[in-house]
Amino acid sequence: MLLSNLGYYSLVLGLILSIFLIFYSINEIKYKLFNLKISLLSILFLQFFTVLLSFFCLIFLFVYSDFSNQIVYNNSHSSDPLFYKITGTWGNHEGSLLLWLLVLTLFIFLFNLTSKGQPKRYKLLTIIFQQIIISGFFLFLLITSNPFNYLSPIPIEGLGLNPILQDPALAIHPPILYLGYVGSSIIFSSSLAALIEKNINRDWTVHIKKWILYSWIFLTAGIMLGSIWAYYELGWGGFWFWDPVENVSLMPWFCLTALFHTIIVLEKRLILKSWALVLAIATFTLSMNGTFLVRSGILNSVHTFANDPERGIFILIFLFILIFLSIIIFFVFQEDENSINKNIFWLSKETSILVNNWFMMYFLAVVLIGTIYPIFLEVINDHKISIGPPFFHKLIIPFLIPFLIFMAFGPKLKWINDDLKKNKIKNIFILLICLLISFLIIYIKGKSYLILTILFTASFYLFFVTLIDFLNKKYNLGQKIAHFAFSIFVLSILFNSIYSTEFSANMKIGDEIKFNNGIIKFEKIETFKEKNFNSLVGSFSITDKNNNIFSLEPEIRIYDQPKIVTSEADIKTTFFSDKFLVINLIKDDDYFNVRYQIKAFMIWIWISVSLLIVGGILSLRKK
Amino acid sequence: MKIRIIFLILISFFIFENLIAKTENELVNKISKNLRCIICQGQSVYDSNSEFALSIKLIIKKKINEGKSEKEIYSFFKDQYGEWILYDPELNEMTFVLWGLPIILFVFGGFLIFRKIFRN
Repeated sequence: MLLSNLGYYSLVLGLILSIFLIFYSINEIKYKLFNLKISLLSILFLQFFTVLLSFFCLIFLFVYSDFSNQIVYNNSHSSDPLFYKITGTWGNHEGSLLLWLLVLTLFIFLFNLTSKGQPKRYKLLTIIFQQIIISGFFLFLLITSNPFNYLSPIPIEGLGLNPILQDPALAIHPPILYLGYVGSSIIFSSSLAALIEKNINRDWTVHIKKWILYSWIFLTAGIMLGSIWAYYELGWGGFWFWDPVENVSLMPWFCLTALFHTIIVLEKRLILKSWALVLAIATFTLSMNGTFLVRSGILNSVHTFANDPERGIFILIFLFILIFLSIIIFFVFQEDENSINKNIFWLSKETSILVNNWFMMYFLAVVLIGTIYPIFLEVINDHKISIGPPFFHKLIIPFLIPFLIFMAFGPKLKWINDDLKKNKIKNIFILLICLLISFLIIYIKGKSYLILTILFTASFYLFFVTLIDFLNKKYNLGQKIAHFAFSIFVLSILFNSIYSTEFSANMKIGDEIKFNNGIIKFEKIETFKEKNFNSLVGSFSITDKNNNIFSLEPEIRIYDQPKIVTSEADIKTTFFSDKFLVINLIKDDDYFNVRYQIKAFMIWIWISVSLLIVGGILSLRKK
Repeated sequence: MKIRIIFLILISFFIFENLIAKTENELVNKISKNLRCIICQGQSVYDSNSEFALSIKLIIKKKINEGKSEKEIYSFFKDQYGEWILYDPELNEMTFVLWGLPIILFVFGGFLIFRKIFRN
């Protein structure tokens, strides 16, 4: 009770501070009606502190299982392990929004802390925009999603955290993802402020580039964590399903990737200013849009663990205000680039980065249209269609081929003007070797997909070219690692798709079944009683085609609160493949549904994305 | 001349692509990956172990044994459960925009870049 009150009024105080900061900044910039000598930094810290306090109150309510609080009651159970009581704090709508707000206030504080050298008016304007967003979130929380609602009479026991959320990767997935999402709000506010102040120059680019990279790093890591979780927890052995909520996190990623390539051009040549601004606005809008689509419950998805149409409408209105505001500012303050010395030669680094942007925007368009089209069609025509992996694969995979080739030679082009003739023979030679390797791979596998062969060739080409580039000290290391990592990423997905095999059957204890040159034996099943679930652990011994014998122990968990059955896959990871075994209950039967998969090069997908992140981190240190 | 040869090779690849036979299990997996488990939350028939998904898988197997082609199987399920069950939306008057818009945007983007570079 006390903690709930403290948390609630702390949020109210934070909102008041937010409104105060807006008026204070406007006064400082324009009217100078009153002369207040206060430290902005300390007020921003105070605001961060109010949200932090509120957040801790909520965590303590969860830790003490105080069921007088509505969301604790809905998302926690006294028998949940401590770790999942804490992570349950953001495993629901209200708590995750409070986390958004926490990161928002932290970032604007850090922004002010680290941009001492920037012009004062620019900083004040950034604070105004950021505080408009922050106050919107405060209002959203307090009006539609108060995390501190009472329940009376107080329930004796809570409903428990959704078991599929009881997982370490998923526990840190939202905070990391939010760091990326919210980072884009700083980029948004700062871009608008720089636009108004006509402050878009080299200094500003260097300063904002860091924020772009931070957001990109966290967004990438957040998406990867979600994907890893889906891989082992959802029990189907895939890592990307083109599920609407996955797509929603991918959209700002495309935009952000395009933005930080553009910002390099902006830094070097001061061109493409307006385009960079459009990308900055779009990135943040897409991050917000993600929150809207997930929270409104419009999407039919595994992620929609809490939703409410009223909230959707609030976010929608808020989103429209922000978009409207930014479009007006954009058109009022946008200046034409004078065309002296601003030409782009067709063969130059600028062009190659534009090509990157071109493809990024195309991928974004595919994902965006594929995600929201069914919603529109249903509203307008009352016609229900599904858009799944085949749609995205058909529209994205062929375009990856030129994209990979551009990625290989783009970074090697010089600024302003370059010549195609150098290294011509070397490049053709590499390309031929790649074609040969790819053809052999496809041929040995007995598949003959033209697109696949060319795709392999293009990815091998990127792979070898970037590998050779490591010998050359001339180019930026972060970029080299990132592009190299992307080639491994595409290659491992390709290998994964053609070399993975699977086998599934219904088996009972003692069964032994032969499958493509191997034997799978169901040895026994044991029952354990854990703190908040009962567990059935199966023992399987598998003999592979080289006569290696190993055992896998997949698990079925039967949770009491709420009553949900989950399957925990047992995965044996090696450098070349993952052995993935999952079992499921079949109703009223001694049989279990057993699905055994050999996922080729699975670990390389995670390694390559981690390497991509390392590339991003290394790019940070370069001035 | 060269272009004609490349073109011929491309065409032969595409023709060849469809001739490769798949084992029954692979085909069941492929088809069930492209069908939505309509009682689940965002899962395909392949991924799901619900009774609905299991029975759909049995029907797919039966249809394959009856000698039905992949296309016929999809249209069978479409007639039974509506377009909602297909993950690969068909090209018809409802989905022209869906398939066409990304491509149009791509061409338009290319045009913008072309104009930016060759303005002078």
